[in-house]
Amino acid sequence: MTRRMVIAILVLLVFGAVRMPFEAELEKEHKAAYFHGAKLDLSLREKIGQMGFLAALSGFRAFVADVLWIHAHVLWERTEWGAMKVDFDAVTSLQPRCVLFWSQAAWHMGFNASVAAFEDPKQPREALRLKAQHEYFKLGEDYLLHGIENNPDVYNLYADLALLYEMKFKDHCKAAEYYARTAAFKNAPVFYHRFQYYELAQCPGHEREAYEALLKLYKEGENERLPTLLKWLGILQEKLNVPADQKIYIPPAPNP
Amino acid sequence: MTAAAPIATKHKIFSPARVTAIASNTLLELVRLKVFYFLLLFALLIIGSSFFTSKFTFQEQFQVLKDVSLGAMSIFTWLLGVLATAMLLPKDIEDRTLYTILAKPVPRFEYLLGKFLGVLLLLFVAISLMTGVFLVILYARQQDALANAARLVPAQALQEQLADIRAATFNKNLLPGIVIIYLKSALCAALTLLLSTFASSSIFTIIMSVIVYLIGHIQAIAREAYLASQTTTALTKAFLAIVALLIPDLNSLTLVDDIVVGNAISTVLFVKTASLGLTYIGIYFLVGYFVFSAKEL
Amino acid sequence: MSTPAISIQNLTKVYPIPFKREKVTAVQDLSLTVEAGQVYGLLGPNGSGKSTTMKIVLGLVTPTSGRTEIFGRDSNTVESREDVGFLPENPYFYKYLTGAETLDFYGKLCGLSRAKIRDRSKELLKLVGLENAADRRLGGYSKGMLQRIGLAQAMIQEPRLLVLDEPTAGVDPAGSREIRDLILDFKQRGITVLLCSHLLEQVQEICDRVGILDHGVLIREGVLGDLISIENQTEIILENAPPELLAQIREMIGKSSGRLVAEHRPQKTLERYFLDVTGPKQS
Repeated sequence: MTRRMVIAILVLLVFGAVRMPFEAELEKEHKAAYFHGAKLDLSLREKIGQMGFLAALSGFRAFVADVLWIHAHVLWERTEWGAMKVDFDAVTSLQPRCVLFWSQAAWHMGFNASVAAFEDPKQPREALRLKAQHEYFKLGEDYLLHGIENNPDVYNLYADLALLYEMKFKDHCKAAEYYARTAAFKNAPVFYHRFQYYELAQCPGHEREAYEALLKLYKEGENERLPTLLKWLGILQEKLNVPADQKIYIPPAPNP
Repeated sequence: MTAAAPIATKHKIFSPARVTAIASNTLLELVRLKVFYFLLLFALLIIGSSFFTSKFTFQEQFQVLKDVSLGAMSIFTWLLGVLATAMLLPKDIEDRTLYTILAKPVPRFEYLLGKFLGVLLLLFVAISLMTGVFLVILYARQQDALANAARLVPAQALQEQLADIRAATFNKNLLPGIVIIYLKSALCAALTLLLSTFASSSIFTIIMSVIVYLIGHIQAIAREAYLASQTTTALTKAFLAIVALLIPDLNSLTLVDDIVVGNAISTVLFVKTASLGLTYIGIYFLVGYFVFSAKEL
Repeated sequence: MSTPAISIQNLTKVYPIPFKREKVTAVQDLSLTVEAGQVYGLLGPNGSGKSTTMKIVLGLVTPTSGRTEIFGRDSNTVESREDVGFLPENPYFYKYLTGAETLDFYGKLCGLSRAKIRDRSKELLKLVGLENAADRRLGGYSKGMLQRIGLAQAMIQEPRLLVLDEPTAGVDPAGSREIRDLILDFKQRGITVLLCSHLLEQVQEICDRVGILDHGVLIREGVLGDLISIENQTEIILENAPPELLAQIREMIGKSSGRLVAEHRPQKTLERYFLDVTGPKQS
């Protein structure tokens, strides 16, 4: 070691000390902009192995996630739902900012695995099949809730969750809430603001609220007067006993 | 010919012309080593990746294509930067071309700068070519997907589908992402140059550079632990401090994984991140020069 | 008196051995002057400190103590190298460059203008006999051609001093002869040459002055002729001498106080013989 090398190392240490606060601050800003959100912890290492973990750590986690994702797809073709979940957990830990992964993982659990569980020919007792089905609904819900935690700035997962509550849990109040949160995004497709009221119409105690909202949309003009909106308007008018003279929308007489 | 007074013009302290001569010669030297064969590998890799994803939705296909392409860009530019830089000085010393150059009125600073710029130029050419191949393939796949959609998707849903396809392919944040990949590889090259002024063999330089690369990605964890810890022992704290102070934070220059999946990077954040990368490159180069300037050749 | 081409004063170079307390002394208290216009031969066995001395003169290595100058400019300064051309031992230039491109590259390093480089390049390629190989890549050059392009690059900026390290190592006799002739040609033009070699015969042929280094110490130094002539002997070489003349001479020697030490037919050197039988037929 020459004297210069010692000085060089000292300079590097000083540079390290100068950059440290800047880097810590930059890291915070990166995280605030949703960078570096991956959870690279020991439980992930168990799932993806030493090599995969090392690759993920050295800046290739997107690639590792893709490989696992393709693997999960192979498992899907063999309907190995449990193994798929292991892959999904790893993939979503690696790429928490990938909405597609959360969304698809939830879809596979909530819509595919749940149906398979309900139709399981090896399980004769319906109660147990129903229970299994409900567990898969919950898994789907879990993925979407965690996905939203990591991606609160994207509407897609709110919409997926609303759909899951609507179709699977039949929980229209929650579906209405999540459609409303979806609709609050400027870039969300326009139909979500109608969907929230269709669901609200089926949420006990909120019929009046739904009716007024739908009526407001109806008054906005032809663009909003879509068949489903008209259908719910008609149903709510009856349900809320709106006097005939106050009925804005007159449903066509049923075809003879 | 006469042996009169020297014909060289008055010696300049710093001459861009000399640096350019060395840099372009270094680039030529590296290109002659046929390093661009890896481009073929790159193209095969990203075209090949589509075979695995043919059964997937177009979003998934495009995402895999982008992940594989940008991942390959990261690893190729990094490898290229480290390997090319590690052999720069040892090769010139071994062939004694270094002596013929430094025996001319060329300051060592200019020699080292020229060599390093040659590598940076090589990395720039490499990443530009890869970006070109990547964009062409992405564009071709997008057009293919658009044509398929036009054929298969019913009219009322077509516009939305086409918009989805476009959104899934090109994303304006890709470019800053690629710039950061370049800076990261340049940083690793500068670090390798610094290590090679210390080291006596290229193998040692390469191994050290790889180790620093691996630790660099978890340096942030050490820093966080160092800044936060009150409970750890003095020994642990000293260890954490050394890692945090000596090793570069490479994770801060690893943004593309998140950008591919749609994460946006603001101009301010990009500028800050890029400045950090440039600062590292500058400091590593200068420290490398400091050691090299007194090296016995 | 004009400024000497090389001036070395009390030069000492000690290399530390990494991770050890021991040190190696490569050059010890060396003082040496090479006057402008001389061809100076620096001799010594391998490891005698020749290369180290040369590297210090060229500023590639910093001395532990002492000072070296090229035409009055300190070797530590970059400027001192404007006046020196260097050809290292067994150099490999960039294989992918042609002869002309090589000279172009080194010309740029010397800060020469494009036009100047073109002129110098043409002139030097002609001088070293590589005009026809100017556009061939160095990868296809023979050892002798490489040395000659090396000489040309060393001379690109018209330096007044040429430093050559084993310029004929590994070159065949014909190539070796060509290089020797080139060095003599440079000498004719008034260029100072520092030649490091252990090929004594070659040094003897071209050097005016020699220094002999051993274990980092300059043990002998002086004008070549003075160093090796045998003061009390005289050599007479006769051509077409009839036997009677030889008998007369022997008789005269017998009468004098001198003594006939040896009488034999001079032999040409093997090199001369080799060149005569392999070289192009002289007209």
